[in-house]
Amino acid sequence: MQILPPNNGGGKGQGYPSLASSSETFEQQPTGNWRGVFSITSYTQYFNIDTDVVLNRLMGSLSPIDGSFFSKIVVNPDIYGPIWISTTLVFMLASLGNWATYLMEKHAGKGSSWTFDVNYVNVAAIAIYGYAIAVPLGFYFLLQYLGSNANLVQFWCMWGYSLFIFILSAFPLLIPVEILRWIIIVAAGAASACFVGSNLRSYVDGADATIVVIAAFFLQMALAVFIKVWFFS
Amino acid sequence: MSHSHSDTIPLHASSQSDIDEIENLINASVLSGPATVLPARPPSPPRAQIPVSSSPFIPSNIPPPPLASHQKPTPVPAAPPPPPVSSSSQGNRTVSSSGFGSAPNTLTEPVWDTVKRDLSRIVSNLKLVVFPNPYREDPGKALRDWDLWGPFFFIVFLGLTLSWSASVKKSEVFAVAFAVLAAGAVILTLNVLLLGGKIIFFQSLSLLGYCLFPLDVGALICLLKDSVILKVIVVCVTLAWSSWAAYPFMSSAVNPRRKALALYPVCLMYVSVGFLIIAID
Repeated sequence: MQILPPNNGGGKGQGYPSLASSSETFEQQPTGNWRGVFSITSYTQYFNIDTDVVLNRLMGSLSPIDGSFFSKIVVNPDIYGPIWISTTLVFMLASLGNWATYLMEKHAGKGSSWTFDVNYVNVAAIAIYGYAIAVPLGFYFLLQYLGSNANLVQFWCMWGYSLFIFILSAFPLLIPVEILRWIIIVAAGAASACFVGSNLRSYVDGADATIVVIAAFFLQMALAVFIKVWFFS
Repeated sequence: MSHSHSDTIPLHASSQSDIDEIENLINASVLSGPATVLPARPPSPPRAQIPVSSSPFIPSNIPPPPLASHQKPTPVPAAPPPPPVSSSSQGNRTVSSSGFGSAPNTLTEPVWDTVKRDLSRIVSNLKLVVFPNPYREDPGKALRDWDLWGPFFFIVFLGLTLSWSASVKKSEVFAVAFAVLAAGAVILTLNVLLLGGKIIFFQSLSLLGYCLFPLDVGALICLLKDSVILKVIVVCVTLAWSSWAAYPFMSSAVNPRRKALALYPVCLMYVSVGFLIIAID
Protein backbone atom coordinates (compact mmCIF):
# COMPACT_ATOMS: atom_id res chain seq x y z
CA MET A 1 0.00 0.00 0.00
CA GLN A 2 1.93 2.97 -1.29
CA ILE A 3 1.13 6.32 0.14
CA LEU A 4 3.48 8.95 -0.87
CA PRO A 5 2.95 10.33 -3.42
CA PRO A 6 0.15 8.38 -5.02
CA ASN A 7 -0.10 8.28 -8.78
CA ASN A 8 -3.82 8.12 -9.05
CA GLY A 9 -4.49 11.65 -7.94
CA GLY A 10 -7.34 12.86 -5.76
CA GLY A 11 -9.96 10.26 -5.12
CA LYS A 12 -12.39 11.80 -2.70
CA GLY A 13 -11.41 15.38 -3.25
CA GLN A 14 -12.53 16.75 0.08
CA GLY A 15 -10.40 19.20 2.00
CA TYR A 16 -10.04 18.16 5.61
CA PRO A 17 -10.69 14.47 6.28
CA SER A 18 -12.62 13.86 9.46
CA LEU A 19 -11.82 11.04 11.84
CA ALA A 20 -14.97 9.16 10.90
CA SER A 21 -14.13 9.05 7.24
CA SER A 22 -10.59 8.05 7.90
CA SER A 23 -11.55 5.00 9.89
CA GLU A 24 -14.13 3.62 7.54
CA THR A 25 -12.22 4.01 4.30
CA PHE A 26 -8.74 3.38 5.49
CA GLU A 27 -7.62 1.71 2.31
CA GLN A 28 -8.54 4.73 0.27
CA GLN A 29 -7.82 7.44 2.76
CA PRO A 30 -4.10 7.93 2.17
CA THR A 31 -4.50 8.64 -1.52
CA GLY A 32 -7.61 10.74 -1.29
CA ASN A 33 -6.27 14.15 -0.55
CA TRP A 34 -3.07 14.58 -2.43
CA ARG A 35 -3.17 18.00 -4.03
CA GLY A 36 0.46 18.31 -4.97
CA VAL A 37 3.68 18.85 -3.11
CA PHE A 38 3.15 22.53 -2.36
CA SER A 39 -0.39 22.46 -1.04
CA ILE A 40 -0.88 22.24 2.70
CA THR A 41 -4.09 20.27 2.43
CA SER A 42 -2.19 17.33 1.01
CA TYR A 43 -0.31 16.97 4.27
CA THR A 44 -3.11 17.51 6.76
CA GLN A 45 -4.00 13.85 6.48
CA TYR A 46 -0.79 13.04 8.33
CA PHE A 47 -1.58 15.47 11.14
CA ASN A 48 -5.09 14.29 11.74
CA ILE A 49 -4.53 13.47 15.35
CA ASP A 50 -5.72 14.50 18.81
CA THR A 51 -3.83 15.08 22.03
CA ASP A 52 -4.95 11.88 23.71
CA VAL A 53 -3.97 9.73 20.72
CA VAL A 54 -0.49 11.27 20.70
CA LEU A 55 -0.11 10.60 24.42
CA ASN A 56 -1.27 7.04 23.91
CA ARG A 57 1.35 6.48 21.22
CA LEU A 58 4.07 8.03 23.37
CA MET A 59 3.26 5.65 26.20
CA GLY A 60 3.21 2.79 23.71
CA SER A 61 6.70 3.63 22.56
CA LEU A 62 8.07 2.99 26.01
CA SER A 63 7.26 -0.72 26.03
CA PRO A 64 10.18 -2.51 24.36
CA ILE A 65 8.82 -6.02 23.96
CA ASP A 66 5.24 -5.48 22.98
CA GLY A 67 5.52 -5.25 19.22
CA SER A 68 2.02 -3.88 18.80
CA PHE A 69 2.91 -0.35 17.82
CA PHE A 70 2.10 -0.82 14.18
CA SER A 71 -1.40 -1.95 14.98
CA LYS A 72 -1.88 1.36 16.77
CA ILE A 73 -0.78 3.46 13.86
CA VAL A 74 -1.86 1.48 10.82
CA VAL A 75 -5.12 3.37 10.46
CA ASN A 76 -3.82 6.85 11.06
CA PRO A 77 -0.04 7.21 10.95
CA ASP A 78 0.95 10.69 11.97
CA ILE A 79 3.99 12.78 11.21
CA TYR A 80 3.32 15.24 14.04
CA GLY A 81 4.90 12.89 16.58
CA PRO A 82 8.16 12.23 14.73
CA ILE A 83 8.68 15.89 13.86
CA TRP A 84 8.21 17.27 17.35
CA ILE A 85 9.92 14.39 19.12
CA SER A 86 12.98 14.90 16.91
CA THR A 87 12.93 18.64 17.47
CA THR A 88 12.57 18.22 21.23
CA LEU A 89 15.42 15.74 21.22
CA VAL A 90 17.66 18.16 19.31
CA PHE A 91 16.92 20.88 21.84
CA MET A 92 17.44 18.52 24.77
CA LEU A 93 20.76 17.26 23.46
CA ALA A 94 22.06 20.73 22.76
CA SER A 95 20.98 22.26 26.07
CA LEU A 96 21.47 19.34 28.45
CA GLY A 97 24.68 18.38 26.68
CA ASN A 98 26.09 21.81 27.40
CA TRP A 99 24.86 21.65 30.95
CA ALA A 100 26.34 18.18 31.43
CA THR A 101 29.72 19.35 30.17
CA TYR A 102 29.55 22.24 32.61
CA LEU A 103 28.69 19.92 35.50
CA MET A 104 31.45 17.53 34.52
CA GLU A 105 34.03 20.30 34.56
CA LYS A 106 32.77 21.66 37.86
CA HIS A 107 32.88 18.16 39.31
CA ALA A 108 36.44 17.77 38.11
CA GLY A 109 37.30 21.09 39.71
CA LYS A 110 37.99 23.44 36.84
CA GLY A 111 34.62 25.02 36.11
CA SER A 112 35.82 28.39 34.94
CA SER A 113 36.89 27.40 31.46
CA TRP A 114 33.49 26.31 30.21
CA THR A 115 31.67 28.38 27.62
CA PHE A 116 28.43 27.65 25.87
CA ASP A 117 29.12 25.76 22.70
CA VAL A 118 26.59 26.63 20.06
CA ASN A 119 27.95 23.96 17.79
CA TYR A 120 26.06 21.36 19.81
CA VAL A 121 22.84 22.62 18.22
CA ASN A 122 24.17 22.08 14.72
CA VAL A 123 25.54 18.62 15.39
CA ALA A 124 22.38 17.57 17.22
CA ALA A 125 20.16 18.80 14.42
CA ILE A 126 22.12 17.05 11.70
CA ALA A 127 22.42 13.81 13.63
CA ILE A 128 18.85 13.48 14.82
CA TYR A 129 17.05 14.76 11.77
CA GLY A 130 19.37 12.80 9.51
CA TYR A 131 18.77 9.61 11.46
CA ALA A 132 15.00 10.08 11.68
CA ILE A 133 14.67 10.73 7.95
CA ALA A 134 17.28 8.50 6.39
CA VAL A 135 17.04 5.28 8.39
CA PRO A 136 13.34 4.60 7.80
CA LEU A 137 13.83 5.54 4.16
CA GLY A 138 16.67 3.06 3.88
CA PHE A 139 14.67 0.29 5.50
CA TYR A 140 11.69 1.07 3.30
CA PHE A 141 13.75 0.60 0.15
CA LEU A 142 15.42 -2.47 1.58
CA LEU A 143 12.12 -4.10 2.37
CA GLN A 144 10.69 -3.15 -0.98
CA TYR A 145 13.68 -4.83 -2.56
CA LEU A 146 13.17 -7.92 -0.44
CA GLY A 147 9.62 -8.08 -1.65
CA SER A 148 7.54 -7.29 1.38
CA ASN A 149 4.98 -4.57 1.48
CA ALA A 150 6.30 -1.64 3.40
CA ASN A 151 4.65 1.68 4.16
CA LEU A 152 7.00 4.61 4.36
CA VAL A 153 4.83 6.89 6.48
CA GLN A 154 4.36 4.17 9.08
CA PHE A 155 8.11 3.61 9.20
CA TRP A 156 8.76 7.30 9.74
CA CYS A 157 6.12 7.30 12.45
CA MET A 158 7.55 4.31 14.27
CA TRP A 159 11.17 5.43 14.18
CA GLY A 160 10.14 8.91 15.26
CA TYR A 161 8.32 7.63 18.31
CA SER A 162 11.23 5.35 19.15
CA LEU A 163 13.33 8.45 19.87
CA PHE A 164 11.08 9.40 22.78
CA ILE A 165 13.03 7.20 25.19
CA PHE A 166 16.16 9.26 24.52
CA ILE A 167 14.33 12.43 25.56
CA LEU A 168 13.47 10.85 28.91
CA SER A 169 16.96 9.50 29.39
CA ALA A 170 18.58 12.86 28.68
CA PHE A 171 17.72 14.05 32.20
CA PRO A 172 19.41 11.25 34.17
CA LEU A 173 22.42 11.62 31.89
CA LEU A 174 23.19 14.92 33.59
CA ILE A 175 24.59 13.13 36.60
CA PRO A 176 28.34 13.68 36.25
CA VAL A 177 29.41 10.14 37.05
CA GLU A 178 30.88 8.47 34.00
CA ILE A 179 29.95 4.86 34.73
CA LEU A 180 26.40 5.83 35.60
CA ARG A 181 26.06 7.67 32.30
CA TRP A 182 27.16 4.60 30.39
CA ILE A 183 24.69 2.40 32.22
CA ILE A 184 21.83 4.80 31.54
CA ILE A 185 22.59 5.19 27.86
CA VAL A 186 23.02 1.48 27.29
CA ALA A 187 19.70 0.80 29.02
CA ALA A 188 17.88 3.48 27.04
CA GLY A 189 19.50 2.40 23.79
CA ALA A 190 18.60 -1.22 24.41
CA ALA A 191 14.99 -0.36 25.20
CA SER A 192 14.65 1.77 22.11
CA ALA A 193 16.38 -0.78 19.91
CA CYS A 194 14.17 -3.59 21.21
CA PHE A 195 11.14 -1.45 20.49
CA VAL A 196 12.26 -0.94 16.91
CA GLY A 197 13.30 -4.56 16.48
CA SER A 198 10.16 -6.15 17.84
CA ASN A 199 7.91 -3.89 15.83
CA LEU A 200 9.86 -4.51 12.69
CA ARG A 201 9.68 -8.24 13.25
CA SER A 202 5.95 -8.15 13.67
CA TYR A 203 5.74 -6.27 10.40
CA VAL A 204 7.93 -8.39 8.19
CA ASP A 205 7.83 -12.15 8.49
CA GLY A 206 10.24 -14.00 6.33
CA ALA A 207 13.64 -15.50 6.03
CA ASP A 208 15.49 -12.24 5.71
CA ALA A 209 13.59 -10.71 8.57
CA THR A 210 16.25 -11.57 11.15
CA ILE A 211 19.01 -9.70 9.38
CA VAL A 212 16.82 -6.66 8.94
CA VAL A 213 15.80 -6.68 12.57
CA ILE A 214 19.36 -7.06 13.80
CA ALA A 215 20.49 -4.22 11.53
CA ALA A 216 17.80 -1.95 12.93
CA PHE A 217 18.78 -2.92 16.47
CA PHE A 218 22.41 -2.07 15.90
CA LEU A 219 21.65 1.24 14.23
CA GLN A 220 19.59 2.33 17.19
CA MET A 221 22.34 1.29 19.60
CA ALA A 222 24.86 3.18 17.49
CA LEU A 223 22.74 6.30 17.79
CA ALA A 224 22.60 5.88 21.56
CA VAL A 225 26.37 5.50 21.84
CA PHE A 226 26.91 8.51 19.58
CA ILE A 227 24.66 10.60 21.79
CA LYS A 228 26.61 9.61 24.86
CA VAL A 229 30.03 10.11 23.33
CA TRP A 230 29.39 13.42 21.65
CA PHE A 231 27.08 15.22 24.04
CA PHE A 232 27.59 13.74 27.47
CA SER A 233 31.24 12.86 27.76
CA MET B 1 17.06 62.38 -13.00
CA SER B 2 14.40 62.47 -15.70
CA HIS B 3 10.82 63.06 -14.77
CA SER B 4 8.22 62.22 -17.35
CA HIS B 5 5.15 64.39 -17.41
CA SER B 6 2.86 61.41 -17.90
CA ASP B 7 2.81 60.72 -14.15
CA THR B 8 2.36 64.27 -12.99
CA ILE B 9 -0.61 64.72 -10.70
CA PRO B 10 -3.06 66.62 -12.84
CA LEU B 11 -3.25 69.78 -10.76
CA HIS B 12 -0.94 71.82 -12.95
CA ALA B 13 -1.49 71.76 -16.65
CA SER B 14 1.64 73.62 -17.59
CA SER B 15 4.98 71.86 -17.65
CA GLN B 16 7.27 72.69 -14.77
CA SER B 17 10.56 71.61 -13.43
CA ASP B 18 10.71 69.04 -10.64
CA ILE B 19 11.50 71.51 -7.92
CA ASP B 20 8.69 73.86 -8.82
CA GLU B 21 6.18 71.03 -8.80
CA ILE B 22 7.19 69.78 -5.41
CA GLU B 23 7.16 73.30 -4.03
CA ASN B 24 3.66 73.76 -5.28
CA LEU B 25 2.53 70.53 -3.71
CA ILE B 26 4.07 71.49 -0.39
CA ASN B 27 2.34 74.83 -0.52
CA ALA B 28 -0.93 73.18 -1.42
CA SER B 29 -0.71 70.75 1.49
CA VAL B 30 0.23 73.52 3.92
CA LEU B 31 -2.71 75.57 2.75
CA SER B 32 -5.11 72.68 3.04
CA GLY B 33 -4.51 72.48 6.75
CA PRO B 34 -2.75 70.31 9.32
CA ALA B 35 -4.97 67.29 9.16
CA THR B 36 -3.24 65.51 6.36
CA VAL B 37 -1.24 62.90 8.18
CA LEU B 38 -4.07 60.39 8.49
CA PRO B 39 -6.44 61.16 5.67
CA ALA B 40 -10.02 60.06 5.95
CA ARG B 41 -10.95 57.75 3.16
CA PRO B 42 -12.93 54.60 2.60
CA PRO B 43 -11.66 51.56 4.45
CA SER B 44 -8.66 49.97 2.85
CA PRO B 45 -9.16 46.84 0.80
CA PRO B 46 -9.65 43.93 3.15
CA ARG B 47 -6.52 42.40 4.41
CA ALA B 48 -6.75 38.67 5.10
CA GLN B 49 -7.99 38.31 8.65
CA ILE B 50 -10.00 36.00 10.87
CA PRO B 51 -11.52 37.48 14.05
CA VAL B 52 -10.31 35.70 17.14
CA SER B 53 -13.04 36.62 19.60
CA SER B 54 -16.52 35.20 19.42
CA SER B 55 -18.06 38.68 19.36
CA PRO B 56 -19.29 39.82 15.95
CA PHE B 57 -16.78 41.59 13.79
CA ILE B 58 -16.65 45.27 14.70
CA PRO B 59 -15.52 47.50 11.85
CA SER B 60 -12.77 49.65 13.15
CA ASN B 61 -13.66 53.32 13.51
CA ILE B 62 -10.12 54.58 13.60
CA PRO B 63 -8.51 55.64 10.36
CA PRO B 64 -7.48 52.49 8.60
CA PRO B 65 -3.85 51.56 8.27
CA PRO B 66 -2.27 53.76 5.67
CA LEU B 67 -1.14 53.09 2.20
CA ALA B 68 -0.99 50.29 -0.24
CA SER B 69 2.75 50.07 0.16
CA HIS B 70 2.29 48.58 3.60
CA GLN B 71 -0.17 45.98 2.42
CA LYS B 72 2.28 44.18 0.24
CA PRO B 73 3.27 41.09 2.20
CA THR B 74 6.70 41.89 3.51
CA PRO B 75 9.01 38.90 3.70
CA VAL B 76 9.72 37.75 7.24
CA PRO B 77 12.56 39.23 8.87
CA ALA B 78 14.62 39.95 5.82
CA ALA B 79 12.50 43.05 5.25
CA PRO B 80 14.46 46.07 4.02
CA PRO B 81 14.69 49.30 6.05
CA PRO B 82 11.72 51.70 5.86
CA PRO B 83 11.17 52.57 2.22
CA PRO B 84 12.37 55.99 1.13
CA VAL B 85 9.77 58.59 0.28
CA SER B 86 10.02 57.98 -3.47
CA SER B 87 8.91 54.36 -3.35
CA SER B 88 6.07 55.09 -0.96
CA SER B 89 5.09 57.89 -3.29
CA GLN B 90 4.74 55.41 -6.13
CA GLY B 91 2.36 53.44 -3.97
CA ASN B 92 0.48 56.65 -3.32
CA ARG B 93 0.24 57.45 -6.97
CA THR B 94 -1.27 54.12 -7.88
CA VAL B 95 -3.59 54.45 -4.89
CA SER B 96 -4.55 57.97 -5.84
CA SER B 97 -5.28 57.00 -9.39
CA SER B 98 -7.76 54.42 -8.16
CA GLY B 99 -9.80 56.96 -6.28
CA PHE B 100 -8.32 57.67 -2.83
CA GLY B 101 -8.19 61.35 -3.41
CA SER B 102 -6.27 62.60 -0.38
CA ALA B 103 -3.34 60.14 -0.63
CA PRO B 104 -0.98 62.57 -2.40
CA ASN B 105 -0.62 64.50 0.86
CA THR B 106 1.48 61.70 2.27
CA LEU B 107 3.77 62.10 -0.71
CA THR B 108 5.06 65.31 0.72
CA GLU B 109 4.94 64.50 4.36
CA PRO B 110 8.24 64.42 6.18
CA VAL B 111 9.90 61.03 6.51
CA TRP B 112 9.61 61.42 10.27
CA ASP B 113 5.82 61.31 9.97
CA THR B 114 5.93 58.08 8.04
CA VAL B 115 8.29 56.53 10.54
CA LYS B 116 6.21 57.83 13.43
CA ARG B 117 3.10 56.21 11.99
CA ASP B 118 4.85 52.85 11.74
CA LEU B 119 6.22 53.18 15.25
CA SER B 120 2.82 54.03 16.68
CA ARG B 121 1.37 50.98 15.00
CA ILE B 122 4.10 48.81 16.45
CA VAL B 123 3.47 50.23 19.92
CA SER B 124 -0.27 49.74 19.69
CA ASN B 125 0.10 46.17 18.47
CA LEU B 126 2.55 45.53 21.24
CA LYS B 127 0.15 46.80 23.86
CA LEU B 128 -2.64 44.67 22.47
CA VAL B 129 -0.69 41.48 22.17
CA VAL B 130 1.63 41.50 25.13
CA PHE B 131 -0.47 43.35 27.68
CA PRO B 132 -3.90 42.00 26.85
CA ASN B 133 -6.61 43.86 28.68
CA PRO B 134 -9.82 41.84 28.94
CA TYR B 135 -11.93 45.00 29.02
CA ARG B 136 -10.61 46.55 25.87
CA GLU B 137 -13.19 47.57 23.36
CA ASP B 138 -11.89 45.87 20.26
CA PRO B 139 -10.25 42.50 20.87
CA GLY B 140 -9.58 41.69 17.25
CA LYS B 141 -7.70 44.85 16.44
CA ALA B 142 -4.24 43.40 16.83
CA LEU B 143 -5.07 40.74 14.31
CA ARG B 144 -6.49 43.15 11.75
CA ASP B 145 -3.57 45.55 11.92
CA TRP B 146 -0.80 43.03 11.86
CA ASP B 147 2.55 44.15 10.58
CA LEU B 148 5.96 42.57 10.29
CA TRP B 149 8.19 45.47 11.35
CA GLY B 150 7.66 44.82 15.04
CA PRO B 151 8.58 41.13 14.85
CA PHE B 152 11.59 41.98 12.72
CA PHE B 153 12.90 44.48 15.28
CA PHE B 154 12.35 42.12 18.17
CA ILE B 155 14.03 39.16 16.53
CA VAL B 156 17.05 41.17 15.46
CA PHE B 157 17.26 42.83 18.86
CA LEU B 158 17.22 39.48 20.62
CA GLY B 159 19.90 38.14 18.30
CA LEU B 160 22.07 41.17 18.87
CA THR B 161 21.63 41.05 22.63
CA LEU B 162 22.56 37.39 22.77
CA SER B 163 25.50 37.95 20.48
CA TRP B 164 26.72 40.83 22.62
CA SER B 165 26.55 38.80 25.82
CA ALA B 166 28.44 35.89 24.32
CA SER B 167 32.14 35.89 24.96
CA VAL B 168 33.10 33.52 22.17
CA LYS B 169 31.63 32.62 18.79
CA LYS B 170 29.51 35.74 18.68
CA SER B 171 28.44 35.48 15.07
CA GLU B 172 27.43 31.85 15.48
CA VAL B 173 25.27 32.74 18.44
CA PHE B 174 23.52 35.44 16.44
CA ALA B 175 23.01 33.08 13.53
CA VAL B 176 21.55 30.34 15.71
CA ALA B 177 19.25 32.70 17.57
CA PHE B 178 18.02 34.37 14.40
CA ALA B 179 17.52 31.09 12.56
CA VAL B 180 15.71 29.45 15.46
CA LEU B 181 13.35 32.38 15.89
CA ALA B 182 12.62 33.04 12.25
CA ALA B 183 12.32 29.43 11.17
CA GLY B 184 10.49 28.68 14.39
CA ALA B 185 7.79 31.25 13.70
CA VAL B 186 7.21 29.85 10.22
CA ILE B 187 7.19 26.26 11.42
CA LEU B 188 4.80 27.01 14.27
CA THR B 189 2.37 28.59 11.87
CA LEU B 190 2.63 25.63 9.53
CA ASN B 191 2.05 23.34 12.48
CA VAL B 192 -1.23 25.06 13.29
CA LEU B 193 -2.31 24.95 9.67
CA LEU B 194 -1.45 21.27 9.36
CA LEU B 195 -3.41 20.42 12.49
CA GLY B 196 -6.43 21.76 10.71
CA GLY B 197 -6.45 25.12 12.42
CA LYS B 198 -7.70 28.35 10.97
CA ILE B 199 -5.11 31.06 11.04
CA ILE B 200 -3.64 33.41 8.48
CA PHE B 201 0.05 32.87 7.89
CA PHE B 202 1.28 36.46 8.28
CA GLN B 203 -1.04 37.21 11.17
CA SER B 204 0.47 34.33 13.04
CA LEU B 205 4.03 35.36 12.21
CA SER B 206 3.24 38.84 13.43
CA LEU B 207 1.73 37.59 16.70
CA LEU B 208 4.56 35.20 17.47
CA GLY B 209 7.03 37.99 16.81
CA TYR B 210 5.27 40.39 19.17
CA CYS B 211 5.12 37.74 21.89
CA LEU B 212 8.93 37.78 21.88
CA PHE B 213 8.96 41.19 23.50
CA PRO B 214 9.12 39.90 27.12
CA LEU B 215 12.08 37.71 26.20
CA ASP B 216 13.80 40.76 24.70
CA VAL B 217 13.39 42.59 27.99
CA GLY B 218 14.69 39.55 29.84
CA ALA B 219 17.72 39.26 27.58
CA LEU B 220 18.52 42.93 28.09
CA ILE B 221 18.34 42.54 31.86
CA CYS B 222 20.57 39.47 31.70
CA LEU B 223 23.06 41.40 29.57
CA LEU B 224 23.30 44.21 32.09
CA LYS B 225 23.44 42.17 35.27
CA ASP B 226 25.50 39.02 35.26
CA SER B 227 24.36 36.69 38.02
CA VAL B 228 23.10 33.16 37.38
CA ILE B 229 20.29 33.18 39.93
CA LEU B 230 18.93 36.47 38.62
CA LYS B 231 19.11 35.18 35.08
CA VAL B 232 17.15 32.05 35.91
CA ILE B 233 14.44 34.01 37.68
CA VAL B 234 14.16 36.68 35.00
CA VAL B 235 14.08 34.13 32.19
CA CYS B 236 11.43 32.04 33.91
CA VAL B 237 9.22 35.06 34.48
CA THR B 238 9.56 36.42 30.94
CA LEU B 239 9.11 32.95 29.46
CA ALA B 240 5.86 32.50 31.33
CA TRP B 241 4.77 35.94 30.18
CA SER B 242 5.52 35.20 26.52
CA SER B 243 3.71 31.89 26.59
CA TRP B 244 0.75 33.48 28.34
CA ALA B 245 0.61 36.19 25.68
CA ALA B 246 0.69 33.66 22.85
CA TYR B 247 -1.81 31.27 24.44
CA PRO B 248 -5.13 32.89 23.43
CA PHE B 249 -4.19 33.26 19.79
CA MET B 250 -2.84 29.77 19.33
CA SER B 251 -5.47 27.95 21.30
CA SER B 252 -8.40 29.60 19.62
CA ALA B 253 -7.10 28.72 16.19
CA VAL B 254 -7.40 24.94 16.47
CA ASN B 255 -9.92 22.33 17.47
CA PRO B 256 -10.05 22.18 21.31
CA ARG B 257 -9.01 18.52 21.31
CA ARG B 258 -5.75 19.52 19.70
CA LYS B 259 -5.00 22.62 21.75
CA ALA B 260 -2.06 21.05 23.54
CA LEU B 261 -0.60 19.86 20.24
CA ALA B 262 -0.62 23.42 18.93
CA LEU B 263 0.70 24.99 22.14
CA TYR B 264 3.52 22.59 22.94
CA PRO B 265 5.77 23.74 20.06
CA VAL B 266 5.27 27.38 21.07
CA CYS B 267 6.40 26.60 24.60
CA LEU B 268 9.30 24.56 23.23
CA MET B 269 10.53 27.46 21.13
CA TYR B 270 10.32 29.96 23.98
CA VAL B 271 12.01 27.54 26.39
CA SER B 272 14.86 27.01 23.95
CA VAL B 273 15.33 30.75 23.53
CA GLY B 274 15.17 31.16 27.30
CA PHE B 275 17.82 28.53 27.69
CA LEU B 276 20.04 30.34 25.20
CA ILE B 277 19.64 33.51 27.24
CA ILE B 278 20.64 31.78 30.47
CA ALA B 279 23.50 29.84 29.00
CA ILE B 280 25.22 32.62 27.10
CA ASP B 281 27.67 34.42 29.31
